[in-house]
Amino acid sequence: MRLYLAALALVAGATPAAAQWLDRPWAGIPRTADGKPNLSAPAPRTPDGKPDLSGLWNGSTPDPVIDPANAQPWVNDLVRQREREYFRTRPSFLCRPSGVEADEFGGWKRILQTPAAIAILDDDQTYRVIHLDGRALEADPAPSWMGYSVGRWEGDTLVVESNGFNEKTWLAPTGQGHTEALRVTERYRRPDFGHLQIEVTYTDPRAYARPWGFTLDKTLAADTDMLETVCERSSEVWPVTSTDAAASVAVPPDVLAKYVGVYKGSYGAGRPRTIEVTLSGGQLTAKVIGFAFVDGGEIRPLVPRSQTMFEGLGLGYQFIVDDAGAVTELVEIHISGPYRYARQK
Amino acid sequence: MRLCLAALVFVAGTMSAAAQWLDRPWPGIPRTADGKPNLAAPAPRTPDGKPDLTGVWNGPNPESIPDPAIELPWVRQLVLERQRDYHKDRPMYKCLPSGPESDRFTGWKRIIQTPAAIAILNDDQTYRLIHTDGRALEAEPAPSWMGYSVGRWEGDTLVVESNGYNDNTWLSRYGQAHTEALRVTERYRRTDFGHLQIEVTYSDPAAYAKPWGFTANMTLQPDTEMLEAICERSSDHWTGTRTEAASRAVTVPPEVLAKYVGVYSGNYLSRARTVEVTLSGGQLIAKVTGGALVDGGEIRPLVPQSQTLFEGAGLYYEFEVDATGAATALVQINITGPYRFARQR
Repeated sequence: MRLYLAALALVAGATPAAAQWLDRPWAGIPRTADGKPNLSAPAPRTPDGKPDLSGLWNGSTPDPVIDPANAQPWVNDLVRQREREYFRTRPSFLCRPSGVEADEFGGWKRILQTPAAIAILDDDQTYRVIHLDGRALEADPAPSWMGYSVGRWEGDTLVVESNGFNEKTWLAPTGQGHTEALRVTERYRRPDFGHLQIEVTYTDPRAYARPWGFTLDKTLAADTDMLETVCERSSEVWPVTSTDAAASVAVPPDVLAKYVGVYKGSYGAGRPRTIEVTLSGGQLTAKVIGFAFVDGGEIRPLVPRSQTMFEGLGLGYQFIVDDAGAVTELVEIHISGPYRYARQK
Repeated sequence: MRLCLAALVFVAGTMSAAAQWLDRPWPGIPRTADGKPNLAAPAPRTPDGKPDLTGVWNGPNPESIPDPAIELPWVRQLVLERQRDYHKDRPMYKCLPSGPESDRFTGWKRIIQTPAAIAILNDDQTYRLIHTDGRALEAEPAPSWMGYSVGRWEGDTLVVESNGYNDNTWLSRYGQAHTEALRVTERYRRTDFGHLQIEVTYSDPAAYAKPWGFTANMTLQPDTEMLEAICERSSDHWTGTRTEAASRAVTVPPEVLAKYVGVYSGNYLSRARTVEVTLSGGQLIAKVTGGALVDGGEIRPLVPQSQTLFEGAGLYYEFEVDATGAATALVQINITGPYRFARQR
């Protein structure tokens, strides 16, 4: 818990000194007796009685359950290829629009609603337009990054249907591709003043046997403002792939065997992580249990870079050996620094 | 005129074959007796009586070059430097937001107006937000690409004041720089259903001795849709600068250079253009009159690449000579092809 608080303090300390302008009370919103925004007040409505989704929203990124068995073989091949390339061609890493990638539904959004259209503005300076003027979904719109969207009200739920996506975008940060035939259905509900529920379903029979998706909750970010996050450095400058890493050094089998074991520690504050290192057919593999960012990336093949240093899908793994030759620790090397895992057995 | 029609046919020919979805009548807009959108009908108003700027708009690029005399020396120097680099660092060429650059006030945009905020959505998937909830302009917002904007109504004119720009953006495509102290004032007037006038003034005493600006005229684009124009190829890959061209320069004897001096006339696309070639201190200079796209680029120093081929600020100039070595025509080589200008004298 102390670690967790320290992390919060660190994050708070990273906001600019001149941030008082991000701390302005909004005029005309419902407040509780102590002056705080009343997030459980009734949801606002437009003059024609529809729920008004307008506002500044924030929330965590969704965590879709991805079932490789539901994906066509070409999708899984693509996922593996993208994993080998450390996901460097992910549109957001290339400074391109994310389209309807699951992660793009998380984080900061500003929604502006008029009777004829809704704009959803992302902090990465992209946006979507949802037509509400009663038009039908186009049969064959020009493929685009952000798609073509129409919305209709079913009671207090806004149902959005979208198509016209190019096939450059991903559906998840783990590399799931889609075809131009992708259809996305979203259901937006603002149950009260401070909360927005979104249900997203991806339908693309040429890529996935069954529709799949996720739900997420957003909270009104009252009394503040959204900051720009403009991508300025494309991943085109990233130098290596895991295929490059595979041009590796040889480590004798008896040395590899010494690294087999279970290692425990924390990846950052409050995220306990266990790494199980196994050896099979001469290949050392790390199974990361706990907080893994990478799909199937719980399994990271370890490619030797030296007798003690290994590359595992973009992370470095260093085995610490004591004077007696016993392996005492495994250090996982992230861009944010090293994380130590003590050997348990 | 024939050239002009040919150019139009060329442009039309590049539109997608499936473009019929771009040809849908908008419901509920004023129309003339023959069913066409009535652009001269009165401007629409919001329920609270303000003009409603909502719509899809398009318009030509404004001519927006400040008098070089009001540019402070550091700006003048940067303009010349950027010209030497073929304007390669222009934000939009680097797939970065154009911010307050004058060209961004034109081209396709969708305006969505709500009582508390107006969103201006650009076809390059950037957007601006103008707060109209009565808040004051922030004294010190975090510098950003698109700035911080507040608007207020003066009669039927929306007056927008903006600040909080980073200094990465340009004020014109010709490389005019600004500081973080830039203030932009815009005055929006929807004079009738189909027309929007925008008067833009840049104030930045640390860069310009006087405020300067331009007026943009936009026309409503009814019965169609705005298409995305996403930058996918950054100018980071561009090679060459004028300095490099100079390093490749060959020596051409003064008497040969003298034979190229003269006046050449012809058409650049549908625009009449005259190129006056002079010799000064051993340096051949082309003065391009009519339809010049580059600031000061009316004056293009010609750097010899062979005895007849010259580089002139990103364009190539080839002199056609007769048996005596006298120039009979000057061919200007643009990315769209060669344009021939016959010698007049």
